[in-house]
Amino acid sequence: MKNILLLGLLFTSVFSQAAHHEMGHMHSHEGHMHEQMVEGKSLAVDPQRFDNFVATLENSKIAAISVQGMVCDFCARGIEKTFGKDTSVSKIDVDLASGKVLLAYPASAEINRADIAQKILNNGLNTTDIQVLQQ
Amino acid sequence: MKNLLIIICLVLASTSFGRPISYVGGHTLMANSSSQADNIYWHFTPDIKYSLGVDYQKDKISDELFASARFTYLLNRKNTATSQRNLYLKTGVGLNKDSHFYGLSGDWETRRLFIGFSAKQQSGLGYDLFEQRVKLGIAPYLGDYGDLHTWLMVETKKNDLDDQRITYPVLRLFKGGALIEVGYHRKTNWDVHLMYRF
Repeated sequence: MKNILLLGLLFTSVFSQAAHHEMGHMHSHEGHMHEQMVEGKSLAVDPQRFDNFVATLENSKIAAISVQGMVCDFCARGIEKTFGKDTSVSKIDVDLASGKVLLAYPASAEINRADIAQKILNNGLNTTDIQVLQQ
Repeated sequence: MKNLLIIICLVLASTSFGRPISYVGGHTLMANSSSQADNIYWHFTPDIKYSLGVDYQKDKISDELFASARFTYLLNRKNTATSQRNLYLKTGVGLNKDSHFYGLSGDWETRRLFIGFSAKQQSGLGYDLFEQRVKLGIAPYLGDYGDLHTWLMVETKKNDLDDQRITYPVLRLFKGGALIEVGYHRKTNWDVHLMYRF
């Protein structure tokens, strides 16, 4: 009986968490940097997320990376840890929903796409595209 | 006090489907408890194709302690925009007893669905054991990075000691680098798996 009660409590907490997630993801849309064309292509990122990412940045270069296989929080955490060790990276955002990683660098930084792709591969994931834009 | 609690949890805490290979340079600490054994397992990932680890197990059937060195090799991985599929070869050799195991495990996962399997042959524990497991899971909501992630799962397992398949519900929760998985069946009681990746 105790076990059934315990399992009941666990599942109740799960569904209340689920309900919390279904509620409100309302965002305002300000800033339109995401509308820029990068290397002839539109910037394939979530606009609101991108605007939030650049809101506190100045004179930066941003790398928007499309990643395959990033299906869980653990994969994303590895990416944050790996790029967190790169002193030239000033800010990191990982979007599980769209499989995108945003990295901010100082405007003067040289962005090494092969190095980025290798770091993503070191997390067991694949890079399909890297778009770089100047803020 | 916090550290004591963590140690108690680790000591109290079965082989499950926690990713056996982390990111390059990553460490993973796992603790498991089942009707068959309690163990603590640490592994390090020097290369994305393999991990090396040490396992300390108290076998509840033979009532003996086993330390082993473990090697896990990624045989195949397929990433897509929405999924990841893995196939691993797992091996271990005893450090204090003439024991060893080898096995194959695999998983396919999206943000919503999970399917995993493992087959493992163990020898030198005072008995030989072949065990098969299959696990299916669904995430009731899709959490963002850093949120609490939840999986409702069903696991079925069979070994040649009992020669009886048991199927039971499992709840998996993880947040940040920490994961807890709890399963229960009236015959085998609680199955607990803790993992911390750092």
